[in-house]
Amino acid sequence: MARERVSQADEWQSWAQRYDIEGGIRTFESGLTVKVFVGALFVGLLMMPGSIYLSYVSGQSGAEAAPWVAVILFTELARRSFTTARRQELYMLLGLTGAAVGSGMQYRNFIWYAYFVNTPQAASYEIADKIPDWIVPAGDSVGVLTRSLMHPDWFLPIAIYLVGKLLGTLRFVSGQYILFRLTADLERLPYPMAPIAAQGATALAETTGKEETWRWRVFSIGSMAGLIWGFLYIGVPSLTGVMMSQPIQILKIPWIDFTQSIEGFAPTGVFAFRTDFGQMLIGFVMPFPIIMTEFITAMASQFILNPQILYRYEILHQWSPGLDVRGVGLFNGLDFWISYGMGKSFSLALVGMAASIPMLFKLRRSQKKAGERGSFATPPNRGDFPIWLMGLMWLVGMVGFVWLIHWMVPNFPISFLIGYAFLYTPINSYITARTFGVLGRDLFEIPYLHEITFILSRYEEVDIWFAPLPDEDYGRGTQSWRVLELTGTTFTSNLAGTLLIMPILLVSGIVVLHFIWKIAPIPSAQYPFAQMMWPINATNECLWKTSLRDGNSQMLQAIRGDYVAAGFTSSLAIYGMLWVFKLPSMWYYGIIGGIGADPGSMVTRLLGAVIGRFYMIKRFGMRRWYMFNPVLAAGFACGVGLIGMGTVAIALVSKAVIVKPF
Amino acid sequence: MEKLASLIIIIGTFLWLFSILVLEGRWQWQMFSALVLTVGIFSAHFWEELRDTDSTEDSGDE
Repeated sequence: MARERVSQADEWQSWAQRYDIEGGIRTFESGLTVKVFVGALFVGLLMMPGSIYLSYVSGQSGAEAAPWVAVILFTELARRSFTTARRQELYMLLGLTGAAVGSGMQYRNFIWYAYFVNTPQAASYEIADKIPDWIVPAGDSVGVLTRSLMHPDWFLPIAIYLVGKLLGTLRFVSGQYILFRLTADLERLPYPMAPIAAQGATALAETTGKEETWRWRVFSIGSMAGLIWGFLYIGVPSLTGVMMSQPIQILKIPWIDFTQSIEGFAPTGVFAFRTDFGQMLIGFVMPFPIIMTEFITAMASQFILNPQILYRYEILHQWSPGLDVRGVGLFNGLDFWISYGMGKSFSLALVGMAASIPMLFKLRRSQKKAGERGSFATPPNRGDFPIWLMGLMWLVGMVGFVWLIHWMVPNFPISFLIGYAFLYTPINSYITARTFGVLGRDLFEIPYLHEITFILSRYEEVDIWFAPLPDEDYGRGTQSWRVLELTGTTFTSNLAGTLLIMPILLVSGIVVLHFIWKIAPIPSAQYPFAQMMWPINATNECLWKTSLRDGNSQMLQAIRGDYVAAGFTSSLAIYGMLWVFKLPSMWYYGIIGGIGADPGSMVTRLLGAVIGRFYMIKRFGMRRWYMFNPVLAAGFACGVGLIGMGTVAIALVSKAVIVKPF
Repeated sequence: MEKLASLIIIIGTFLWLFSILVLEGRWQWQMFSALVLTVGIFSAHFWEELRDTDSTEDSGDE
């Protein structure tokens, strides 16, 4: 029987429809009230320290829990007060609490570079003394050595960050809004993934009625699972870390490394079992074909391709027995996989362009014929802004940003900055907005754009690697405006809430991060994930930042044209053959994601996908299971987040008592 | 158009396999195969989009 051909857009839209419980509403109300604002601040700031702490302990911030905790508290209070919580309020609460809880992590680069500047890697690659002072103070400065973000040494990096944040808000709000008007209002694109994002608020809004619904039960099951898992995985190591020099880990964080066990029959293969079972929930949600093909390809890479082909033909030649996953990964990367990965990225970009450019042609054709593709007229009471005002805001934000970068790296050719700001960014953003509108995901991304720019500019100083470039993408953000529309939240109330909460978060974030840094050096035994990952991240960062240096760049020597070409062409061939045989395009993304990757990092996600596909869907039915998913995930994240918050509180109190000398 | 796109993609894939197995994976030959594949993939997507437009118009007329 001949298989029917399904276009990429249809394939993704049909997947998205599983989550689409209702089509949204078209009456608009403000979601911003005093109780929403205070509630968001209360929960967000309460959970923020836990979220920062968790990210250094386990690599997962658990920040996604906070908005749901706020919503659950809010709905319960509403129920007990015999009032109802509107979906606009709940959606606003989700957004503001998310911003509040993430406000500490916005400064995480300060801690990273404070570590990086004093690493042996940065010294040996001769970049430690070349890191600009607008990123981090010197390695021997008091602000770094005493681990204090409140020291005057940090004023310049913080001031630059704040100016950048202000200009960024101007650009992103206006850029996203203009593109939303263009793609959603004028072109009437469906934004298939937006209903999923809107579902959380709409689902819980109804729990403020008199009867308890399934959602509360599912959320509670998720929370209890999260609490138990969080206690075992994060609570035990964190609490024992307070009392002992070496914390007890029931399950090793972040992985159990089997690389040395398999080297007998699969030399150069890696297998490090990632112990974070929270990944199972991602497996529940992600498309099954992607997860399955990703895992199979990763297994084939590590057990057949690496040992039987690449090692045998001495392409992987730096490997030696006894290396752990990090060592094997580094050498395999330098020998082959970095080059292959570059080619792979270029193929992703090309496939994205091949899918998105014909869409532009299709729009033009249909506009000419139908002549009624929608208009710029806005629905009543949506809280829209004048387009000219948004255009002006974008212009001010972008001109200011270009000037700021020019001030940071005055010798870098300004023509590149202007080209990115006023040519590349609008085109890139528009194409992404369209692919989000049709497919719900980004397809158009040119890989290694910065590296290509630096080569073309012939600029050789290291400081440019630390500066931002105005190559932005507002297309992704257009979806959030569509979600506002689906939940019936006025745009003005959303913008007002964001602007009101921002100054509070900018101050509180840095204060909390300062105190967390004071607990113990990051990385150290207190923070096992950072201790495991940061040294290898530092090596990678050094490799990249010195890659264009004349003569002795290890990275430049590692990049080989024939391997890049192999990555590029083989990926295109895979995509092409899937198309020829009418197989799902999702397989392509799975195969590309899995090739060369460590299958051990995918086991828990696969487990989730298999349980979801072969048990849960049969047990509950597909529609109900996809309704349960986001609520269950929110409950789990809530449970883990609460454990994180509890342990960081104990750790903070304990450290405060111990460090006092009298 | 669909068959032509499929043919170009198959030729590109064989060219790439040939460049790896016989021509020692030289990047010039691989990139030539990539060019053929790119033409095939773009043709495939243009055909898909134009086909969709036509079918929508047909259904609208009914």
